[in-house]
Order: sequence, then structure tokens, then C-alpha cells
Amino acid sequence: MAAKTDAYVDTGALIAFADASDSRHTLFRRLFAQPPRLLTTTLVVAEGHGWFLRRFDTTRALQFLAMIQSMNPLRIHGVGSSEQRAGIALLQRFSDQPLTLTDAVGLHVMAANQVRSCWSTDRHMALTGIPLVIHEH
Amino acid sequence: MIRTQISLSEEEYEAAKREAEKLGISLAELLRRSLRAIVPPEEGPPWMRYAGMVSSGDARASQSIDDVVYGRKD
Repeated sequence: MAAKTDAYVDTGALIAFADASDSRHTLFRRLFAQPPRLLTTTLVVAEGHGWFLRRFDTTRALQFLAMIQSMNPLRIHGVGSSEQRAGIALLQRFSDQPLTLTDAVGLHVMAANQVRSCWSTDRHMALTGIPLVIHEH
Repeated sequence: MIRTQISLSEEEYEAAKREAEKLGISLAELLRRSLRAIVPPEEGPPWMRYAGMVSSGDARASQSIDDVVYGRKD
């Protein structure tokens, strides 16, 4: 059985934490200051890195990766063919929603790891019933 | 203060000198300010140095990631 994790970290939470302009910055700054056990996926890390590359430059994108590497309470779940298959099944189940594969794999990983809370600013991440932290605060 | 030496290309040096003159500060002060802007201050757990490391000017930045990464739909 997979170890219990307290919260899943989606790309939005990482961007809100790193971007002082974001309306959720204060909330995620407070949450990351004393985090519980956290989980994310390699797809989220790639998405966050892509965001920094597109919005800023390679220096900021590398700083984002350094930030991820410094986050000891954050476990990064690798995404292989089984996670991809589970993500595709969720994309088919929720085909009326504009979910990305990153979102869908996140929904699968949350369920598989019995995650109690989702750190995201995207309402789609509540599709399987795991509460979003932005609604709890 | 620690004294150090850096190498700049002629273009970088001229551009930095012009910017420093425009701001009314020395070249050294300009370089110190640039460093402070890019190197986050130490504070709390190691990852907290990165809290607010950028300011995109977009209050909805974390809600429009897909538009930036994957492109907006036409």
C-alpha cells in the first residue's frame, strides 16, 4: 500500500508561491512555510519549468528547478506508462472537461496515494472529490 | 564588503555604464542591485528564498498556466 501523503501540489500552487503578483501568493507562501508531506509529479515540474521559460527566461526557469530541488518535504512521483494509462482513462472519463494529461495524472496519483488535500488553483483538480486547499482557507 | 573581479564583454560593459549613468549610480552599485534582484534572500527553510521570486504583474497567473504553456485556443 502506498504511504499516505497530506497534500498533492499542482503547478498552480508552485506558480502562486513563486509569483508575488498572484492573488493566491499570500496563501501559498503561508502553506509552504510549514508544509506537511507533499507529493507532485514530474509532469507538474515540467509544466512549471515551461511556464517560467515562456513567461520569463532560462535563468528563472532554472531557478524554478532549484526551488523544486530545495523542497525537502516534496516527493516527486515519476510518470511512466502505467500512470500515463491511468491518466488517459481519466481524460476519457472526463472528456467534457478541458483537462491536460498533467491534470489527469495528478488526479490518478492523488487517488493512488490517498492524498487528503489538493494544493491547486484549478477547480478541475477537485473533479474526483479531493478538496482544494483554496476552498479550505 | 568583498572585492571581486568580473569579466564583461565590451557591449555588456558599455550598456551597464550607460544604465548606471542614467540612474546616477556607480557601475558597482548597478551590479550589486542586479545581483540582489536575481539572488533571493536567505529566510526560513531553503525553499522560502524562492517565495515571490518573480512578479509577473498578473493576479491570475496561477490560473492561466495552460494558456502560457500550451497556448490559448483560437
